[in-house]
Amino acid sequence: MSAALAYEWTRIRTIRSTWWLTALTLALGVGLAFLVSWGMSVDLGNGNTPGPQERPLIAPMIVGQFAGQGAPLFIAYVIAMVGVFAWGHEYRHGMIRATLTALSSRTSAWAAKYVVVALWAAGTALLTMLLSAAVGWLWLRDDGISFATGDVAQVLVATAAYTVLFTWVAAALASLIRQQAAALVLMFLWPLALENVITLVLNVVPGLDALASLSRFLPYNAGARMLSVGDRSGGALFGDPLSPWGGLLVFGAFAAVLLGASLVLFRERDA
Amino acid sequence: MAVIEARGLGKQYSGKPAVADLSFDVAPGSVTGFLGPNGAGKSTTMRLMLGLDRGAGTTTFDGEPFTALERPMRRVGALLEARPFHPTRTARNHLRMLAAANGIPLRRVDQVLEQLGLAAVARKKPKTFSLGMGQRLGLAAALLGDPDTLILDEPANGLDPQGIQWMRTLLKGLAADGRSVFVSSHLLSEMALLADQLVVIGRGRLITSGPVADFVKGSRRNTVLVRTPQADELAARLAGDGVTVEPTEPGALTVTGMDVAAVGDVAFDHGIRLHELTARAATLEEAFLEATGDAQEFEASAR
Repeated sequence: MSAALAYEWTRIRTIRSTWWLTALTLALGVGLAFLVSWGMSVDLGNGNTPGPQERPLIAPMIVGQFAGQGAPLFIAYVIAMVGVFAWGHEYRHGMIRATLTALSSRTSAWAAKYVVVALWAAGTALLTMLLSAAVGWLWLRDDGISFATGDVAQVLVATAAYTVLFTWVAAALASLIRQQAAALVLMFLWPLALENVITLVLNVVPGLDALASLSRFLPYNAGARMLSVGDRSGGALFGDPLSPWGGLLVFGAFAAVLLGASLVLFRERDA
Repeated sequence: MAVIEARGLGKQYSGKPAVADLSFDVAPGSVTGFLGPNGAGKSTTMRLMLGLDRGAGTTTFDGEPFTALERPMRRVGALLEARPFHPTRTARNHLRMLAAANGIPLRRVDQVLEQLGLAAVARKKPKTFSLGMGQRLGLAAALLGDPDTLILDEPANGLDPQGIQWMRTLLKGLAADGRSVFVSSHLLSEMALLADQLVVIGRGRLITSGPVADFVKGSRRNTVLVRTPQADELAARLAGDGVTVEPTEPGALTVTGMDVAAVGDVAFDHGIRLHELTARAATLEEAFLEATGDAQEFEASAR
């Protein structure tokens, strides 16, 4: 296993796209945090004070890349491409032959990919969030916005976990269909279009509206609930909407199924 | 020492057998050539040997299958057809990555880059490489772990004549050190210079295996040319089991199935005057075409 980890660790660092995507994540995340914090500090300076209920949500929102209110976590989409390339390059360039003649255990080769990709995804997400927090604190510290709150800590952990799962799913899709371009398309279409269309259909087609509330179990819909701050689910794990833990369980199960299929097929198929 | 034993290898693609019940050995200290017409299953066989393709049979390296080897590149070096590297990862980084997985020191990476004449392009991206340079990077990867077994699929592809000669010297040297070298090629003249042993397949099945010399010696293309003013009489005297006599031109016969001495003795016994008696040895190419003739025909008609 250590051999496979050494291989993957070298692999991920010796390909340009990893660094581009990591830099892009940091630039987008920290850049947006900078602009929004700046805007808010101007706003607050003009005396537009937010209500006591909104005030504690500002720091988690900036740190969590504005995804808590239902917007897609865009940094996850960028980072997940590192996951897609982890498998995509193997098949696009015939690297899989080099990989499997350098590592005789397919299970180790498989596991090392997901471990290293997860570390990279979590590291990049956490770095982006911590830098965003730093930027936000610099702009807003004088306005009495605290970044050392339980909600911020929750956002750090939940966003990092979500990014890892999101990246794993994207990587597993690439490993299952062994087609980099198709995996990239699917990775974007599924959460951004497919699930919304299904939700819409369930809501508007007569007779299906009884099922509409089930759309909260669609994997990416559920996953997004991991990022919510301030529990509005009324305590029920699988209430409507799902609690953050419920979202984690649904999205985590989805990732587990895809990873399992990825392992089984990787072991069975011709390389 | 590294004995390769392939036993009962088999692989089907959508119901059609690509390789069937193929068994052979590769002994240390020799270069074993792997021959077969295009589509005979050479690459599939090599992929099966390394566990890249899933199929029937087993291949062991000193008793162990490839997938059970720890640090496999130190035991078996492989070069498979097509260029298995990322176009924008530099040659040195590519080898560093393979080395990292096999506990091979960085200095060995620079050593093989030097050995393969790639030192100048070590930090260049392989997408700029010519076919021959790509092939040398593949060879560098195969040699990286200083393995005692090499499995090379068409290693001469894209190499210039100097490169081919260099590779021949290299592989012969590696075999002479006691390594097992298993190499496929469609260049028969090259194989004749390189290989000591042969494994010949057609339509995914073993046609023959053994020393190159025996293979060529067994060919029906080993003929004796004999010139005599008494051609008809000699032809009648030579006729027998396993012997064919063809008149090639007036006063000349081509005899197959007898050696020079035997033809000379028959002529002497019957008082037939000879003007010329010449042995024509078959080339490896002739022996190969003869041995794989059926397989080749099948290939052509199947399309």
